[in-house]
Amino acid sequence: MKRNYLILTLHLILCVLLSGCWSKKELTDLAIISAMGLDLNDKGEYVSTLQVINPSNVAGGLQGGGGSKGPPVTVYTATGSNIIEVNQVASTKLPRRRYYAHTNLLVIGEELARKEGIDNILDAFERNPEFRMTAVIIIAQGAKASDLLKVMTPVDKIPANKIIKNLKFTEEQWGEFFTINLQNAIKDLTTTGKSTVITGFSVSGSPEQGKKLENIQDSDPETTIGATGLGIFKEGKLINWFEGKTARGTGWILHKVKNTGISFSWMDKEDAVVYQIIREQTNSIPKIKKGKPHITIEVKAEGNIMELRMPADLMDPLVLLKMEKEIEKTIKDELLLAVEEAKKNKTDIFGFGEAFHQSYPKDWEKLKEGWHDVHFPELAVDVKVDAYIRRTGLRNNANELQ
Amino acid sequence: MEKAKIGAYQLFVLILLFELGSAVLVPIAIEAKRDAWLAILLGMVGGILLFFVYYRLYRFYPKLVLTEYIEKLVGKILGKILSFCYILFFAYSAARVLRDFGEMLLTYAYVNTPLFIVNTLLILVIIYAIQKGIEVLARTGELFFILLYLLAITGFLLLIFSGLFDLKQLKPFLEDGWGLVLKVVASQTLYVPFGEAIVFAMIFPYLKDSKKIKIAGVCGILLSGINLALVMAINISVLGIDLASRSQFPLLSTVQSIQIAEFLERLDVFFMVSMVIGIFFKVSLYFYAAVSATTILFKIKEPSKLVYPMGLAILFMSITIANSYSEHIKEGLIVTTRFLHPFFLVVIPVILLGIAYFKNWGRKRKSQNGAKNASMSQKG
Repeated sequence: MKRNYLILTLHLILCVLLSGCWSKKELTDLAIISAMGLDLNDKGEYVSTLQVINPSNVAGGLQGGGGSKGPPVTVYTATGSNIIEVNQVASTKLPRRRYYAHTNLLVIGEELARKEGIDNILDAFERNPEFRMTAVIIIAQGAKASDLLKVMTPVDKIPANKIIKNLKFTEEQWGEFFTINLQNAIKDLTTTGKSTVITGFSVSGSPEQGKKLENIQDSDPETTIGATGLGIFKEGKLINWFEGKTARGTGWILHKVKNTGISFSWMDKEDAVVYQIIREQTNSIPKIKKGKPHITIEVKAEGNIMELRMPADLMDPLVLLKMEKEIEKTIKDELLLAVEEAKKNKTDIFGFGEAFHQSYPKDWEKLKEGWHDVHFPELAVDVKVDAYIRRTGLRNNANELQ
Repeated sequence: MEKAKIGAYQLFVLILLFELGSAVLVPIAIEAKRDAWLAILLGMVGGILLFFVYYRLYRFYPKLVLTEYIEKLVGKILGKILSFCYILFFAYSAARVLRDFGEMLLTYAYVNTPLFIVNTLLILVIIYAIQKGIEVLARTGELFFILLYLLAITGFLLLIFSGLFDLKQLKPFLEDGWGLVLKVVASQTLYVPFGEAIVFAMIFPYLKDSKKIKIAGVCGILLSGINLALVMAINISVLGIDLASRSQFPLLSTVQSIQIAEFLERLDVFFMVSMVIGIFFKVSLYFYAAVSATTILFKIKEPSKLVYPMGLAILFMSITIANSYSEHIKEGLIVTTRFLHPFFLVVIPVILLGIAYFKNWGRKRKSQNGAKNASMSQKG
């Protein structure tokens, strides 16, 4: 009997141990940070912006969006001289414990990216086990990160989610801007033969108006945010923005393009046909020819004709073959444009240097020194494109006015 | 020695779990940079050779464990001293692995929990397991082996589907030449984890079928070696060499990178579970070896009474061996792999084997006309 009591007591004591509440964090005590922004102020200090989710204002979607009287997120800012401090100072304003496990977005102000670079601010994020390396990183183009994070967004109520999904789908459908997460950014920063590219988002309209909840009560919100440029980096610092075809050319070389549409001229009519990619494959093949580095970019694209703005006999395979030639030329021009622009900026955002490192480690020893400034701008680049038109949609010829 | 019997399959599982143990979690052989996998595979080859040394010693004394035949081979006094050193070595190694466990949990998940609490929780379970004996440990091993491989295979498939592999990151091959790889093999992978299989010299006599030890051991080391090399190659091809070498636990970073279909992500628990399983078996086996060697050396009749005090000793040792994680790792790389491991895992066993050959060679000549069959059975 005595023994039984002993065992019972032991079990009770074990219960205390097993519950595992050493450093418990109650859900109602957590401030779930959806996005974090970093800026530089006039004194050269860091300003962090924490976008905290208001759980009661985003929940209840099933009941017809009930309870969304307040804003879905609240933004707090704090100043400090390092990343840890700047975040801990924010606790003076926050009613709850900061919780970074769901921080999927890191926004860096353009000024900070240009002046200080991103290399020494990322360490605090890597080191912290709560912060995720899969968090997406973007630059606030021509704005402060705090302005960007304050804008209320329709459709996706939480602005951080809107930006992440925005980026994901524009990458899939257009290919000019693409998702770079912390891990990718750090990988590129620490590789000699590759520079970082990070997408920039900007605010259109007045940031003041964007803060207000009325902004999303309008069918045409006054203030919106969207991807507008591809920030290219050199030695960890933002140096320039790529836009339009240059940006998409970069996307091509980095093998980020998935479903983009390419318009080309046909029978002397500009933008007469639109070709949409289904899948593509890009390879950069390094070669050393007579002691000089040489890169061949091979692109294989498959796609359909999705728009025809003038009569053409799409049932004739020979026509399609001719069109394929046009497409190849258009893609090639776009790629070369991106390469030329990168050369002008003297930064190898395509990772050509790394390709040489991997295939010609001995020659790389000589090229490594001043790769971006000396060797990359003189690098001979060849582009070979193979484009295939597979189908032409539900119609063969275009409609014609009779 | 307790009265227990384990099967060849159980030995294989124990060897596998022991070798994977903590090695799969820490950046093993990362000094060889992109060729870490090669250094691990070469270390494995050396490990198999060392295993043959331990096995051959066992064949000379099929009824005895390591600390028993040491006395027979080098004499009573020296033998006792060496046995005592082996007890300390096993206990110290158990404490080191236990510390690894605590450090990992504290770094990653339980930042505010004291090391003592985390280590106590694990050592309590281990004490319980050891008290039940080697048979129970082996059976537990069979169970967890399946779980561990289910996790590993799932994780591997998820990594493939998430498209994170970039095999180009393993290039250039042999950037710093064979010299660096061989140096890493000689200073690290030969001992950790492969040479550490010497703890099984304390377990061989429990085998039901002693003929199968060789095949079980070689298979265990081979599979664990291939797995370790694969894991390291995966880490580097997912993270890149810079991130992999800067990560305290590269496998954790690799698993964290998995993102599939918006919901299959943050699979850190895969890492945690495999860590707990691997470390549990590694500490247990070292601990078991220490306990059973102590029982033999001091002729203790009830080994189970030793388990609690030794468990406490290991627990306190695990906390006092280092002030910081860096110190712990530095000790592991400098002190143990440079001074302890070569001595305990290579030098002593090889000398013992030499003495054993010499002694038995003499004996063979004497009984050359007599029992030919007896000497036949001693051949490996």
